[in-house]
Amino acid sequence: MKKWLLLLLLIGLTLAPAMRSSSAVDGLHPFGRGAWQEIRKAHAGQPLVVHFWGVTCGPCRTEMPQWGKFLEEHADLHLVMIDADLVPNLPGAVKTMLEQSGLAAAENWMFDDDFVERLRYEIDPQWQGEIPRTLLIAPDGTMTTIEGVADLDKIRIWLDRQAPPSR
Amino acid sequence: MIRVPQLAVAGVLLCAGATMAQMSHNHGGHTNPKCTDASLGCAMQATPTFASDGTLWLAWAANGIVSVAHSPDLGRTFSTPVAVNQEPLDLDWGPDSRPNIAVDKDGRVFVAFARFKDQAFNGQVLTTRSIDGGRSFTPPAPITANPESQRFEALALDADGSLVAAWLDKRNRVPAAARNEKYIGAGLAFSWSHDHGVTFSEAEIAQDNTCECCRVAVAFAGPGRPVVAFRNVFGGTVRDHAVTTFLDPQTPGPIYRVSVDDWKTDVCPHQGPSLAIAPDGSYHVAWFTNGGVRKGLFYARSTDGGRTFSAPTPVGDAERNPSRAYLLAVGDALWLAWKEFDGERTTVAAMASRDAGRTWSSPRILAQTGDASDHPLLVADGKQVFLSWQTRAEGYRLLPLESRQ
Repeated sequence: MKKWLLLLLLIGLTLAPAMRSSSAVDGLHPFGRGAWQEIRKAHAGQPLVVHFWGVTCGPCRTEMPQWGKFLEEHADLHLVMIDADLVPNLPGAVKTMLEQSGLAAAENWMFDDDFVERLRYEIDPQWQGEIPRTLLIAPDGTMTTIEGVADLDKIRIWLDRQAPPSR
Repeated sequence: MIRVPQLAVAGVLLCAGATMAQMSHNHGGHTNPKCTDASLGCAMQATPTFASDGTLWLAWAANGIVSVAHSPDLGRTFSTPVAVNQEPLDLDWGPDSRPNIAVDKDGRVFVAFARFKDQAFNGQVLTTRSIDGGRSFTPPAPITANPESQRFEALALDADGSLVAAWLDKRNRVPAAARNEKYIGAGLAFSWSHDHGVTFSEAEIAQDNTCECCRVAVAFAGPGRPVVAFRNVFGGTVRDHAVTTFLDPQTPGPIYRVSVDDWKTDVCPHQGPSLAIAPDGSYHVAWFTNGGVRKGLFYARSTDGGRTFSAPTPVGDAERNPSRAYLLAVGDALWLAWKEFDGERTTVAAMASRDAGRTWSSPRILAQTGDASDHPLLVADGKQVFLSWQTRAEGYRLLPLESRQ
């Protein structure tokens, strides 16, 4: 009995991290406490575009395919898509929308803690959760916020002004 | 011997699936993800009301079930909860959605709530009532036969015992689509029940193109004259607040703007207003905006029946993200409570006015929590005012504010 338990415990310990990363391979990182710092660190020194969206957000439905095309045009773009819907989304619905928008291969995250005030505070203390929302983060950390549907031409101009990405 | 490995296997699978399980939380209503039953402890929201005999009534939703219980001792003990719906429903889990409850002077209990009918987040408002002191409820029935989306219902009792319901209703997008026109937002619908919640009158639209994702607030200017505050969509793009005062039970009055915040946006704020009407007839509205003119939480008052409002005054500490304001008028006192967040903890602050909103006391912190929490609500038993607040870590709390006397 003890051998069984030990064996299964070992399988469990090896399986659990595998499953965790496989959800990211599926294209969806869970966005919990500290995730924002993780993202900032991973893209430090690069012009970074972060877009917040949600399945139940009407304007996002029309905007998402535009982001898919934008990413296609800018293959070396540091783009992070974060599902921050105020109505919690099901992962299946999120993945479907990402696939349909040509964003399945983007760096995709999804809010994964319903103490959402805290998640949002880490990103922007003033943000009360409205989406869509886009952050343009310059290599020096300067942040520009675009509320509502983003004008992608303005983002093109902003990108051109940044130092050429080294990636 | 055989059962142990099976249990262990189940444990391993549960651990391995934990990431995805966590990410699918909240499906089926505002539910504490660690919970699987319909108890109050599993709810992320609770809506209170007092009966005239001083009994506290509470309605909440957890895991697809709306439940009701009552407390004779201000929330210390509760009756055995009674499920309003027997089969779990896909309850509306929008941040501003919650079950509504009202208890009339004869002890009839009315509950209204919304569920999602489909994957496209089309809602349906259901009502039910109890005439046996909350021991049993009639099967929840649609408030209207119309199949278009209904959400964010608000239920209020008029002086004569009639019930009025106001909600956001998308029925007029059908004729708009037939004309090949886009219908922005949702209509503000209303309906009356003059037979103590057995039937509701044919729903009517008081105003088209209001914001579709924010709660509406109802109070009374007098018998048969409900006042509704809501986030309107002005000129197709500006999501600022408005009020309408019914001229009589069937006739909504003109729409007056509470404030020109100029929040020109296509985002859904998921944050509707609060409304109170003081005994002197003054209107009081609190709301959140991220407009071009002002950003944050605000309060304004009207002394001419909602035609014009005072200059908006900011509420709370702007550095601490004030949100979710709630107003209550009790006797000669007016109370305003709201939430703030400092990066670690959520606090509820409140202040009072003894001169119908002209001047206010200093804000006082009433409660705090370090995890997810409901909007703060105020409720009164006729004498005393209470904060009603459901939080994940602490559960349900009913905290007395200072006595009116």
